[in-house]
Amino acid sequence: MKSVTSLRVDVLEGARIALFSLRANRLRTVLTTLGIGIGVATLLAIVGIIQGLNTSFHKQLASFGANTLYVSKFPWMIKGDWWKYRNRKNFTLDQLPRLRAMAPFITALSPSVSRMSDVSYGGEQMSSVRIQGVNHEYLSIAGFDITGGRFITEADEEVTRPVAVLGADVAERLFPGISPVGRTIRVDNRSFQVVGTLSRKGKVVNESMDLLVLIPFKTFYSNFGKGRPFEIAMAVADASQVRMAEDQLIGILRRLRATEPGQPDDFNINKPEAMAQTYAQLTGALYGVAVGVGLITLLVGGIGIMNIMLVSVRERTREIGVRRALGARKRTIVVQFLMEAASVSAVGGLLGTTVGLGTAKVVSLITPLAADVQTTTVLGGVFFAALVGLLFGIWPAARAANLDPVEALRYE
Amino acid sequence: MSDGSGAGNGRLIQVDDITRVFHVGGEEVRALRGVTFGISRGEWVAIIGQSGSGKSTMMNVLGCLDTPTSGRYMLNGKDVSRMSDDELAVIRNVEIGFIFQTFQLLPKETALANVELPLVYRGMAAKERKERAKAALDKVQLTHRMHHRPNELSGGQRQRVAIARALVSEPSMLLADEPTGNLDSATGEEIVRLFEQLHKAGHTLVLVTHEPKLAARCPRAIRLSDGSIVADGSGREVAMAVAGPMVAGV
Repeated sequence: MKSVTSLRVDVLEGARIALFSLRANRLRTVLTTLGIGIGVATLLAIVGIIQGLNTSFHKQLASFGANTLYVSKFPWMIKGDWWKYRNRKNFTLDQLPRLRAMAPFITALSPSVSRMSDVSYGGEQMSSVRIQGVNHEYLSIAGFDITGGRFITEADEEVTRPVAVLGADVAERLFPGISPVGRTIRVDNRSFQVVGTLSRKGKVVNESMDLLVLIPFKTFYSNFGKGRPFEIAMAVADASQVRMAEDQLIGILRRLRATEPGQPDDFNINKPEAMAQTYAQLTGALYGVAVGVGLITLLVGGIGIMNIMLVSVRERTREIGVRRALGARKRTIVVQFLMEAASVSAVGGLLGTTVGLGTAKVVSLITPLAADVQTTTVLGGVFFAALVGLLFGIWPAARAANLDPVEALRYE
Repeated sequence: MSDGSGAGNGRLIQVDDITRVFHVGGEEVRALRGVTFGISRGEWVAIIGQSGSGKSTMMNVLGCLDTPTSGRYMLNGKDVSRMSDDELAVIRNVEIGFIFQTFQLLPKETALANVELPLVYRGMAAKERKERAKAALDKVQLTHRMHHRPNELSGGQRQRVAIARALVSEPSMLLADEPTGNLDSATGEEIVRLFEQLHKAGHTLVLVTHEPKLAARCPRAIRLSDGSIVADGSGREVAMAVAGPMVAGV
């Protein structure tokens, strides 16, 4: 009879011996497992929290509308000299019809100007509410829906009516349980009649998008001063046109503002997407550091595995000798010890995954951070842990396999 | 002296002019200095010698745990003296059944699992493995203890488990290293009787020992001294020549 042990047999037998030995040394197994487990847990918790941040940020950004552009003399994220932007020419209202004529790809356009004010109704008062002056087209640009009443109309703008459409936060705080439509609120001691309410948008970077009151643009100017620079919010047909629109707008806006050739643009075209890039730059560095910390923890865990495997090899020297005498090949011994190392690590990985996910969940419950762990991350965690075990098990396994059977059998 | 030379005469074991040299701390130790003998199928041979005589080295070479420095070792028609590590592992698994002085059972496995072990390395399916292991335990009258671990067995029972493990793979020869060395005389006698039965059943037995008394029980004994054969004859004669009739127990 010929002895033909396949790798499959080696692996199966290795796994059996590994589980046997792990069970036999419970305390040691648990302690070793902890090392890897803590590494995986750290890594997963961090990755989970960051993934959660990313997902919620992008979800919120999407609520801005992927097909919108905001033209202003200020960029959204000011880098460097604020005064440089402050001193740029303001846009003027008479430029808006010309802009629309020059840029037929714009499907909706609204000026937008805002200030922070106190808003009250009856005994209820709210401070730091964004009062925003816009036109009747703003609704489709901003991506709100009307949940009650109506939106601002062209007629409201023409006759400078003191009407207001309330964001969801304002409606709920000032009018708990009743409909605000038809009632009169006070904004910095001026009266506005509520004509509608807006759907809820949620938060972007922890700032509520629903803490606002929309009023007609001209009404804003006549109540709160004409001098304020405004932004031009605009929508194109769909997201695929944003880039083209941006390119063409540069030329159109330069002509509109009579920018001298050779001079840099004296305006900014802001997009939600640009915010995403800035955000990615910010979090990217954080991500790197956090993952680095997790990896170092795993490395420490791996060294723990190597240490315990070397002890295991020493303890079982005679067993190795017996197995070799009875026909185990070197490969069989290598596989046996690799399986043991990988099993400890995989168990640690599983443990770490559970703890890591739990941590991320708890964090998402007690803080505004939304944890989000994807299946690939979980599988990756367990797989990676097993890989660490394999890697750090190689040296001890090779030592075991290279023992001289005669010496090993004699080992006391 | 039996005829030493003559390979290819159908013998199970044929060693020709085997030497084994160790290098210990820069010094050369010649453990075997040109040993030649043959063992036929079905023989029961003792290899006897004092400590340092080279008998342990001889046993390691015969057991394919070690390879000779020079010379040729033919086992069951195969030249095993120049084989690779993996090839030797296969030879050990198929051709040799080891029985050790200290039993060398895996302490955490049951008697049955210990006996199964050589078949595991042969890649045999679990069911067949178990059946064969039970049959081997039956041969040493230990089926009633097969689910016990070694520490729950007496010394004699442990050695019988080890013998079952050696028998299970149906090897060409059983190679026993001081098999009664760790047993009291009554239990030792029990094991020797078992060997006698195995010999009658046709097994080839090679028994390495320093005890003339044990060698005297074997039909043939080869005596090693300083790495060379100094006597090869009937067990009684060789044992008496070493220790005298009283000590040899004949």
